Amino acid sequence: MDILTQLKKQAEQVEIFALQNEKTTVEYEANQLKNCTVAETKGTAVRVIRKGQLGFAASTDDTAMEKLAANALESATYGDKALFSFPESQPAPIVHTFDRSIAELPIARLVEMGQEMLDLVLPVEPNARCNISLERSLVSASIRNQKGLDVSFKTSPLSLGLEIDRIEGDDMLIMYDQLGTTVWEGDYLAFARRLVEKLKKALILTSIKPGRMPVLFAPAGTLALVLPLSQGINGKQVFKGTSPMAGKIGEKLFDEKITILDDGTIDGKFSSASYDDEGVPHRCNTLIEKGVLKSFIYDLKTAAQSGVASTGNASRGLFNPPEPSGTNLVIQPGQTPLKDILAGMHEGIIVENLLGIGQGNTISGAFSNPLALAFKVEKGEIVGRVKDLSIAGNIYNLLKDVAAVSQEAEWVYNAIYTPYILISEMNVAGKN
Amino acid sequence: MRDRIQEAIKHSKADYTEIRIEEKETTRVVFRGKELEVANANIDKGGIVRCLIKNKGWGVATFNNLEDLLNKTDQAYQCAQVGSVPEPIELASVEPVEKITRVEMKRDFRDISLSEKKALAERYNQVVLGHSDKIIDTQAAYIDTFTHLTLANSEGTYIEQEKPSVIVATTAIARDGDNVQQAHNSLATTQGYEYVLDQDEMARKAAQHAVELLSAKPVKAGQYTVIADQMLAGVFIHEAFGHLSEADFVYENPKAREMMTIGRRFGKGILNVFDDGSVLNQRGTTLYDDEGTPARRNWLIRDGELVGRLHSRQTAAKMGEKASGNARAINYRFAPIVRMTNTAIENGSTSFDDMIKDIELGIYACDAYGGETQLENFSFSSGYAYMIRNGKLAEMVKDVILAGNLFTTLENIDTIGNDFKWLNTSGGCGKGNQFPLPVGMGAPHIRIQNVIIGGE
Repeated sequence: MDILTQLKKQAEQVEIFALQNEKTTVEYEANQLKNCTVAETKGTAVRVIRKGQLGFAASTDDTAMEKLAANALESATYGDKALFSFPESQPAPIVHTFDRSIAELPIARLVEMGQEMLDLVLPVEPNARCNISLERSLVSASIRNQKGLDVSFKTSPLSLGLEIDRIEGDDMLIMYDQLGTTVWEGDYLAFARRLVEKLKKALILTSIKPGRMPVLFAPAGTLALVLPLSQGINGKQVFKGTSPMAGKIGEKLFDEKITILDDGTIDGKFSSASYDDEGVPHRCNTLIEKGVLKSFIYDLKTAAQSGVASTGNASRGLFNPPEPSGTNLVIQPGQTPLKDILAGMHEGIIVENLLGIGQGNTISGAFSNPLALAFKVEKGEIVGRVKDLSIAGNIYNLLKDVAAVSQEAEWVYNAIYTPYILISEMNVAGKN
Repeated sequence: MRDRIQEAIKHSKADYTEIRIEEKETTRVVFRGKELEVANANIDKGGIVRCLIKNKGWGVATFNNLEDLLNKTDQAYQCAQVGSVPEPIELASVEPVEKITRVEMKRDFRDISLSEKKALAERYNQVVLGHSDKIIDTQAAYIDTFTHLTLANSEGTYIEQEKPSVIVATTAIARDGDNVQQAHNSLATTQGYEYVLDQDEMARKAAQHAVELLSAKPVKAGQYTVIADQMLAGVFIHEAFGHLSEADFVYENPKAREMMTIGRRFGKGILNVFDDGSVLNQRGTTLYDDEGTPARRNWLIRDGELVGRLHSRQTAAKMGEKASGNARAINYRFAPIVRMTNTAIENGSTSFDDMIKDIELGIYACDAYGGETQLENFSFSSGYAYMIRNGKLAEMVKDVILAGNLFTTLENIDTIGNDFKWLNTSGGCGKGNQFPLPVGMGAPHIRIQNVIIGGE
């Protein structure tokens, strides 16, 4: 018997989440094509609400569905009171996340694309060692519940990753960039060219006198600023009182150049889909508008606890119940062309990548990190790479006064669309 | 199952074929604040076939459906055809092993009811919640996992291992106005349920540290003499040095090989470091790794000199060294890669009192929040720390983040304590996409000169 039909007889509410994933990966290690993997995952997760109590269980063993059902019911015996109901079907935006040309991409083509990346890097730096990963997947997920909700989505993620390592004496350089998309991207090498441009600049090593100076966060470097924010706007942290933004809706917390959206409806992005992982439609949530805090993000459970509606931000893996989570974070580009920002920097640095982001007391907004990749700007020109520096600060202070936000923006970490952000003065520490 | 595995291996046309089947049941209870987040059981069952065609490459197939091993073996073989290595891939020789092991737990957690496990997590949660009214949020978790692992290869190895794991972990979050601080504490074991009982002190310490951090000032950036406690020293040696001794970092990279030349001086003569998967009942204990190589003690640094490294069969063959028992995978969804097991700084001879007494201004850094290394550069944060003034522990400070260069820092370890301990914490190690892998760490207190501490 279908597990939904069966459990409906034993519990007031039932939700069945099924996930199937076929993933093909081709890997180059140190410029050599060495591994090819085909991975298949298939599993089912169940949530039940029985006598008002919530239970959860998951399994990848489809010969043991009885046990899965029994585990979910037992879990509900101990579960806390559920304040929410699984949703009914609601109309949702159409979001493109499936592309046959990715799903059917031959392995031979992945191999070729890897070679194309090597051909971009090696002429510039023959000593570079590239680790390349090319991965295409076909993911099918479905959510059904006792109210008749039955949504399913198919996505075709394509993920290309390029890591360049270069050791020269005691100088070690590691650079990484990636492309993640669910619809075919004609210029799939753009990210690799972007990385090679950075590599060219990084080959020149220079130095800078530590001290207070302007710091320009490049798109990848803005993660240091954005990560605490993405934790702080999470409805769960707000409900628990651990978010520094709790209770501050409507307050101006940041510079008016800062506007941030959470948008799960952008075509082709990994976190995009018509529905979230509980079957609630995705939408575009304005989180911060011109520096003013507008909204937090919620799934069904935390929304009910907080007395608000779900914002369509439930996210889950197979083995965990849903949690509120950001989809695509969009930091609105600003007014200033990047070249003007650079032109205004007499002496300062561009932060591309920091070491150890996310360690420490991140949610408080505090960070203190060595710079893994940074460039020196001198009289408006990028003059080379600088190393052995670190920066520290608290984003709740730094983002109160932002000197400039660039017109140009990039997708980084497959989930954040962000411009360059200039902080007019920060302490840059290092050896004198 | 054994027959089906061996039939599939026999059927394979590859130069080397390996099949690993994993059946895992996990029970998890998590409290967050006053609320029970989840109390449940998950089942994960699957397998992996790995084929090597020496002059081409590796092919891998992973799957949940165990009915079709022949087909999956064909698929892995076809994948291996894709590779195009310039030189054939060899595997260091390892004596085939036939062994079926069963574990005996004093109290088998599979016989304990979910209700009793829930009560245990709730008790530790209450200890944290009840410590102070400044505690605004908590997390208290109980997690047990029982894994049955079967490994067979085309050289005649057939190993069945049972791997139990139990973890209790607490997080305390304290708040005073806008000031929010947190502290963690956990215990993990590969033994039975009895090990995680009566651990109120573990929970209480998390709560105490979180509350104390509320009144701690941020550390002033600068260069200090630092004493690291066993936990931080253990994490340091794992993160900053251990990862560089994994041979997959050097085996394809002549420049890295130069940097990690055996015999190179890595520290003062007092420094000794090893990795050992055969130490019984530690978190990283791996009697046979995921290629069937038996565990052993591998010395990495002896008397301050680099003397060894960690290998898979592939990296060992490439470098003309012996397989070391360090090919590990987090689960059946991954091929094994070179990983640490239990990594430790060997005990020294200095007492804590002697270590601290002549430090005029320094930092006693305890516990580790996390860390990251990029080649020789590392950064990690201590959970909490105290200033050392005139040879004595003084006020608590927060946001103590150690950053630096591995080689300089190892050379600057000038004193090694006599209070070695293995750390049984729940954290796991991440590498590539494989996280978290259970690893053990051990160390005595160590003293490091001229450490750069970041800050505003």
